Amino acid sequence: MEALNNLMYGFSIALDPINLMYVFIGVFAGTIIGMLPGLGPMSALALMIPITFNLNPATGLILMAGVYYGAIFGGSTSSILLNAPGVAGTVATSFDGYPMAQKGMAGKALAIAAYASFVGGTISIIGLMFIAPLLSKVAVSFGPAEYFALMVLGLTAVVSLSDKSLVKGLIAAIVGMMISIVGMDLQTGTERYTFGSIEMLDGINFLVVALGIFALAEVFYMLLRGGKKVQKRNEIGSLKLSMSEVKEMAAPVARSSVLGFFTGVLPGAGATIGSFLGYSMEKRLAKDGDTFGKGNIKGVAAPESANNAACGGSFVPLLTLGVPGSGTTAVLLGALLVMGVTPGPMMIEQRPDVFWGVIASMYVGNIFLLVLNLPLIPYIARILDAPRALLLSLILIFCMVGVYGLNFSSFDLVLLLVFGLIGLVMRLNGFPAAPLILGLILGALMEESMRRALQISGGDWSIFIDKPISLVLLLIALLSLGLPVVKKMIQKSRSA
Amino acid sequence: MKVNLSTPLKSLALIGAALTLTAGMAAQSVASDWKPSKAVEFIAPANPGGGWDTLVRTAANVIRTENLAEVNFAAINVPGGGGAVAWAQIARDNRNDHKLFATSPPIILVPLAGTSRFNHTDFTPVARLITDYSIVLVANDSPYQDINDLFAAIGENPRLSVGGGSAAGSMDHISIAGAAAAAGLNAASVNYIAFSGGGEAMTSLLGGHVEAVITGAGEAVAQLQGGDLRALGVSSPERIPGLDVPTYKEQGVDYTFDIWRGVMAPKDIPEEALRYYEDLFARMMETDDWKEATERLGWLDAYQNSEEFGAFLDGQLEQFRAVLGELGLLRN
Repeated sequence: MEALNNLMYGFSIALDPINLMYVFIGVFAGTIIGMLPGLGPMSALALMIPITFNLNPATGLILMAGVYYGAIFGGSTSSILLNAPGVAGTVATSFDGYPMAQKGMAGKALAIAAYASFVGGTISIIGLMFIAPLLSKVAVSFGPAEYFALMVLGLTAVVSLSDKSLVKGLIAAIVGMMISIVGMDLQTGTERYTFGSIEMLDGINFLVVALGIFALAEVFYMLLRGGKKVQKRNEIGSLKLSMSEVKEMAAPVARSSVLGFFTGVLPGAGATIGSFLGYSMEKRLAKDGDTFGKGNIKGVAAPESANNAACGGSFVPLLTLGVPGSGTTAVLLGALLVMGVTPGPMMIEQRPDVFWGVIASMYVGNIFLLVLNLPLIPYIARILDAPRALLLSLILIFCMVGVYGLNFSSFDLVLLLVFGLIGLVMRLNGFPAAPLILGLILGALMEESMRRALQISGGDWSIFIDKPISLVLLLIALLSLGLPVVKKMIQKSRSA
Repeated sequence: MKVNLSTPLKSLALIGAALTLTAGMAAQSVASDWKPSKAVEFIAPANPGGGWDTLVRTAANVIRTENLAEVNFAAINVPGGGGAVAWAQIARDNRNDHKLFATSPPIILVPLAGTSRFNHTDFTPVARLITDYSIVLVANDSPYQDINDLFAAIGENPRLSVGGGSAAGSMDHISIAGAAAAAGLNAASVNYIAFSGGGEAMTSLLGGHVEAVITGAGEAVAQLQGGDLRALGVSSPERIPGLDVPTYKEQGVDYTFDIWRGVMAPKDIPEEALRYYEDLFARMMETDDWKEATERLGWLDAYQNSEEFGAFLDGQLEQFRAVLGELGLLRN
């Protein structure tokens, strides 16, 4: 039981009073930062770097890791209450979280998010502990062809995410993919759809689109419905979950946690893609899949467990390969280098205190997060009691401050407005927003991977079926598209 | 392979310090009474976490802990356009003598690729501080034993893939394409696969998806320690102390490539302000805190004062223009 010995060693570091204090500071700061749209874990971590200069490396990483998973944990709050995702990884949480809040079940949605996050986080820590070195092999086995196949599989979720009209869902997804390729093309250095503006060279930030299409469009929509006064005072509702609800969610949470963890392990994929994959998987598996998007508890539980598990998973390539899989882990890597620790294949041997100390601190941090968040829910959810005029202004301010805080660019505010209007038009005409977001997050990686793979193979498309992982993923994608059609045909022929 | 960076780097840092000491004194003799009157904005033209950001934060921190200036140097991130967004902002603020920014080869490459209106001549070079070098890595079981094996294989098979962590036409691509040209190949014969970060390129190599990877020597140290990868050559003029990797030159390829980093200021700042900053950074590089930081980060001191740095940049422009031209990526 070497892993347990290592963990005991890790706990001896994590439970040191100073480290305990830093875990607490980290997760507390992280939750708050996560709740505020725009102020994501990346900028928060950058702000922490000067603080970590004078800390012991283990303590420094414990603090920064706490901020990171704390932010993912806290990000669900504004997704659920305001339809304004706090961090990119919690966009999918708003699909069912916000409708639940609208139905007067905000308390329950927040509680589910907290429990699911806790379970997802814990499962990912167990994964980190037992199979991190092994998993680094999985991470490197994914090359361009495999990534492309994974993205194709992810995109088949469009079918389940477009509730009424598949055509409208596909249109939305393609618009999302088009938005994703704005900016400088990596493979040729060519500008695409930038209209000569340097602000668009790096592409359009995902959060600008998400906040525009979800939160701002919601504000516009409510304004249009204006005088009718459809809603009276919002209820927060009970936080308690019934036994049957717990049973109903157990399997989805477990599945999404594992899925999320593996997604997090892959560099470049991460919490956002993980939460979408978890959400669409559960929507397809659920018997009541058609109530997803209308306030289904599993629609909150699945993405929340997946994104927190993915956050833990993203530490695998960082710590075992020295490879950052995302902007946030790149900041972590930079901070570790500044503190004199070089993450990589030798880290477990060279700095076991940092490696095992951080993993053990994540257990502690997750418990802190749960204990910290649950009692606060009734107070935070009060925000819904605010008069509508106030609430709408609040969402507006959140969106604008959040978007401005991304790059301190007023150009992004114009983009926010544009996407708010696009979101409103889509909503008025029955175009679902989720496929657009899905196309946006998967599109860029899918296109890049496809072209990279073809460049490696010299233009030979067989690279996608020669590689076993890629072939299997593509077959699953084909199956998941084909099965419903076959099912329908069988039903038709029977009834005929 | 055993890599011990600490002691040899330290001795190198000492030599660097001796050099900077003389440079510093020279600068000091012309320094006047000009001093910043409020906090200096020290801009990293990118998101947190990258090379520019680390340089800005480390330098600002050393200036503070060593009490080198009476005012605070505030690290500010202005990401976008591979630097172009920040450059445009700074170019507009051409007289602001309380503004500095971190710089490196993209200040030349991005304008050449046609995506920035402003290039290095629109700013004042303050000082070159440090440098890193490119290193070519292959998997341990790769058939290529030295850089000539690799270039010979590329010559026969133009599909042979070499991954890098930046876009086509940017640093990693220029570095390897230039080396190939120096080895007698056409620069365009390198099948350069652009990944969106050095890390992704490295995982692709570890997984056997590309044949070789070009990256910064500093980033590669941990990977080389792990023993799954081998280095074929490094782009430095002489071997990097502590890193047992032969240079291109030793292997008969007459080519060097510096991943230099330095500091620039807006174009029209007063001469006295320029002298102040030039002197400040020279003094900063003599401090123990700075030496400790460079050792930790695997940087090599490469100080040049404002004038030398400016001349160096003009030379880089010609070198890069030639390689980009051969690659067909020259747009400006």
